Amino acid sequence: MNKILRDELQSVFGAVRITTPENTRVIINAKKDTVLPLLRFLKEKGYQHLALISCVDWIEAQELEMVYILSAYLGSDHAFSDKEQTNVILKTRISRENPEFQTVIPVFQNAEPYERELHELYGIRFKNHPRLVPLFLDREYSIPPFRKDFDTRRYVKEVFDQVPFVEKEAEKV
Amino acid sequence: MDRNQLIKWLKAPAKMSHKYSLHAVYFCTGCGIIEVPPSITARWDAERFGVLPAASPRQSNLFLITGYVSVKTLKAIIRTYEQMPDPKFTVGFGSCPINGGMYWDSYNTIKHLDKYIPVDGWIAGCMPRPEAIFIGVTHLWTLIDKGMANGYQKYRDRYKYYRANQEQVLGTLDWPPLLPIGDGNE
Repeated sequence: MNKILRDELQSVFGAVRITTPENTRVIINAKKDTVLPLLRFLKEKGYQHLALISCVDWIEAQELEMVYILSAYLGSDHAFSDKEQTNVILKTRISRENPEFQTVIPVFQNAEPYERELHELYGIRFKNHPRLVPLFLDREYSIPPFRKDFDTRRYVKEVFDQVPFVEKEAEKV
Repeated sequence: MDRNQLIKWLKAPAKMSHKYSLHAVYFCTGCGIIEVPPSITARWDAERFGVLPAASPRQSNLFLITGYVSVKTLKAIIRTYEQMPDPKFTVGFGSCPINGGMYWDSYNTIKHLDKYIPVDGWIAGCMPRPEAIFIGVTHLWTLIDKGMANGYQKYRDRYKYYRANQEQVLGTLDWPPLLPIGDGNE
């Protein structure tokens, strides 16, 4: 199955680099403008479940790596075929200085909360996203907190450790 | 009733009543709440110790903080705590509310819960077993007997400082002060 998928992918999208570290895992490294056509193609091939969108901060290369993980739904015969066991992982790199990327909501509707999460934790702006507002966080950060150059220890020292103990404050008066 | 405790009942009936009717708020934060369902149900049966979960904070007097407290959760904790009637007792459960635990350098987790609301007792561990909850409850009985579980009085006396700390972390609060904030000299 993986071999067929690999051949089809390489015949349609010539420039993609495909590796299979395990039998049940296919990793596709693609350029960022081929992500939408690739996702459409994979969805047509039966990988209809977008399990996760993740992100990796490669600070030495000054790049952010987007990771899309797709899998197929179990068929009506409830037998795990090769395809149903396979996770397809689509990776692409975008610039870290100007982190802007297109949204994949036209292909996968459930990408909306994932992209909102990446927006607040990595500061990626998704073009044409309908509702790019904070998802979890209640505070403002100078640097998005999941980036490698965000110094959590310094932040904790500057914010949470500055709050005094009530007993000590009351003794001062 | 235990005959040995008869004198205690006659001396301080209110304290004894508080001791044996602890109603806990159904409030879940972090991973510690996973220990609470077995504690309150048939396996460990918290009702032996007079601990029962209550439907609403307005009907309860025991507040178990069961795990790490993020900034957003802190807001809910303060609102819940202020709704509870006096006398109320707070117990921090697990190492995270004590000093941050494994989240001691997290970007969104407050480290010391007792900077924001008064805490009467701590149960250390990650996670504490249900037995530890009951040991904590018996310790709380002792504290109530001796009049040392007085966090709610402290909150009243030092409300100015608690409110200042809450505002320092949460920014502007959406609700008015619970008590009048004086100049702190009263």
